[in-house]
Amino acid sequence: MHVHVRVGRERYAFPIAHVREVAELDDVTPVPGAGGAVLGVRNLRGRVLPVLDLATAIDVPRGEAASRMVVVEGQAGEAGIAVDEIVGVGSLPPPTVSVDGAALEGAAVVDGVLVAAVRVDALLEEVVAR
Amino acid sequence: MSLPPEVLQIFRDEAEERLDRIEQSLLALESSSDGGELVDALFRDVHSIKGNAGVVGMHDVRAIAHEVEDVLERARSGEERVDVDPLLRAVDTMRKLIAAGPQPEPVSAPEPEPERAPARSTMRVASEKVDDLLDAVGELGRSEGAIVDVQRSVIGLRMLPLSSITGPFPRAVRDVAAAQGKQAALEISGAETQLDRVILDGISETIVHLLRNAVTHGVEAPDARAAAGKDQCGRIELRAEQRGGTVAIEVHDDGRGVAAHLLAEAAESGSLAEVLARPGLSTAGAVTQDAGRGVGLDAVKAHVEALGGSLEVHSETGAGTCVTLLLPLTVALLRVLLVERGGQPFGLPLSSVQEVTIVERPMVLGGRASIERDGAPIPLVDLASVLGGAATPLADHAPAAIVASSQRHVAVRCDRLLGEEEAVVKSLGLLAGVPGYLGAAILDDGRIALILDPAHLVTARAPRDASSAPAPVEQAAAKVLVVDDQFTVRELQRSILEAAGYRVVTAGDGREALGELTRDTEIDLVATDVQMPEMDGFALLEAIRALPERGDMPVVIVTSQGGEEQRRRGAELGADGYVVKDDFDQQALLTMVHRLVEH
Repeated sequence: MHVHVRVGRERYAFPIAHVREVAELDDVTPVPGAGGAVLGVRNLRGRVLPVLDLATAIDVPRGEAASRMVVVEGQAGEAGIAVDEIVGVGSLPPPTVSVDGAALEGAAVVDGVLVAAVRVDALLEEVVAR
Repeated sequence: MSLPPEVLQIFRDEAEERLDRIEQSLLALESSSDGGELVDALFRDVHSIKGNAGVVGMHDVRAIAHEVEDVLERARSGEERVDVDPLLRAVDTMRKLIAAGPQPEPVSAPEPEPERAPARSTMRVASEKVDDLLDAVGELGRSEGAIVDVQRSVIGLRMLPLSSITGPFPRAVRDVAAAQGKQAALEISGAETQLDRVILDGISETIVHLLRNAVTHGVEAPDARAAAGKDQCGRIELRAEQRGGTVAIEVHDDGRGVAAHLLAEAAESGSLAEVLARPGLSTAGAVTQDAGRGVGLDAVKAHVEALGGSLEVHSETGAGTCVTLLLPLTVALLRVLLVERGGQPFGLPLSSVQEVTIVERPMVLGGRASIERDGAPIPLVDLASVLGGAATPLADHAPAAIVASSQRHVAVRCDRLLGEEEAVVKSLGLLAGVPGYLGAAILDDGRIALILDPAHLVTARAPRDASSAPAPVEQAAAKVLVVDDQFTVRELQRSILEAAGYRVVTAGDGREALGELTRDTEIDLVATDVQMPEMDGFALLEAIRALPERGDMPVVIVTSQGGEEQRRRGAELGADGYVVKDDFDQQALLTMVHRLVEH
């Protein structure tokens, strides 16, 4: 199972095993010097959670400002991934289309739309390595 | 029959404590003439270990303890003096065996119940459990002050006294000294000082390193000490004390001190800690078995700074060296000064903030701004540009916090000050590697304040741009050199002249002023005090008149000494004007300067 999201006009999906919750984006405090893909940190019920911008991280044009986030957990730690919309939870067929970028696994067609699966560990590592 | 692991752990914990105590008693015995009571205490501890080792089936430990008992028994009855060395070795062996665990051999006939240590009201808590509890409390939300109170009590659980790690230190000093044919004794004070367990865990090795340095690089050989009029036995002191939210741990030796050329270099750069922390620098000159091996002071400095602390070194050639580790009391709870930049709150560890000031008129050199404190310039930087973020330009009267770390300083400007707060510091998690931050704190209103790393701030340099360095007054304006040995007088005159549109440079005495004149050919006029160290105002005036190209430079004498004699002397030497400081008013100086530069 995957959590399907929309960024700009594109669709991506997070493996549900990595997803801890879905939340409003709310107030994000910038962390100067952390790099473009890092929106900052957010107070999530008393915890300090880093928030990354999916659009910047995988280099997709976005339409509006992100308003929701998917809280994911990988080997490097936890982070909120800002997206434009949470589409829903559903299955994702094995990828049939190859996609550029280490953070993406490949894409499959769901209801006539191309959906790429996000490699959570690779996405988080890209940020840590910076 | 196998022993429950908990029982074995209790035995280990207790035996380790007793072995530490035995070691300390042995070291004390070595330097004491009458050791009767010490021998009794030793006997009790050794006897307990013997008994308990039998119960848990560590028969080799039991056998060694038994032999030690015999030696002590003979000492007690006055048969022979205790030879400390073999007993110390026996302690080492028992430690190793206890750490390795019991032999598979079954427990034989139970020993008589040994006397137990008096019950203590302490418990051992794994630090991860404390952290989990702290996070769990945070998860409850932060609406009520009670939760913050609970967080603070939980943090209290993390505190342990320094004495929990000092056990092996006296032995380490003795052994290192003995291996080099030296004598050294360690004195510990303030061991009851409490520190965060996380800090204590990492700091033990660092302190041992400093103690080893003190013996190897500091303490001289016995004959050299005698020749220098010192006690043959070197004295090393380990002192700890709490200073506000900071714990200072000092390692002081009465040895040879740091070489004079390094002290001179430090006097110039301002930080002995930094000079000594250059990788590869060894104060001993020669690389011996113990010196110059492994980590040096650079590693000590890096470690201390990683914990949010700083390092200071003071030394006098021939008299000794004192290394001070300034550590936060806890990594979890920190008193911070909250400041705002670009609408965002930031926390500065209060222990690193020396003063907060409103910067009226910074000095600008080569496009970089600085302010003066105690005669030395401190770089003036914009918090936003240090961190690499963007923000609206600072207001003219923006406040600046003077931050110190490892004997370096920086004045950090921000939009406004928000006040002090005791912050629960949390990790930035994934972003912990981003330079410049110690972590983040959640404020009472739910906002997040990033906690700034003083060690990073002091390495920052102001970028050469107009946003950080306020633009100088009109480029074409006349430039005045103000010479006075008093900072306040200089700055007063500077503010008067700058407000009137002049460009101003300053010097602290005549010699400095001459240097400034040689460097800066744009200076149009000199306003100088009379009484100054090095070179006074009259001597400066004479020297200026002797300059081949600029001998006709207008010079105004500004002095508190009225009287005809001074005025006559000034006129004789060719002063162009004379302003008395007693009735110092802005207009007198301005009128004079204006008359002289606007020919």
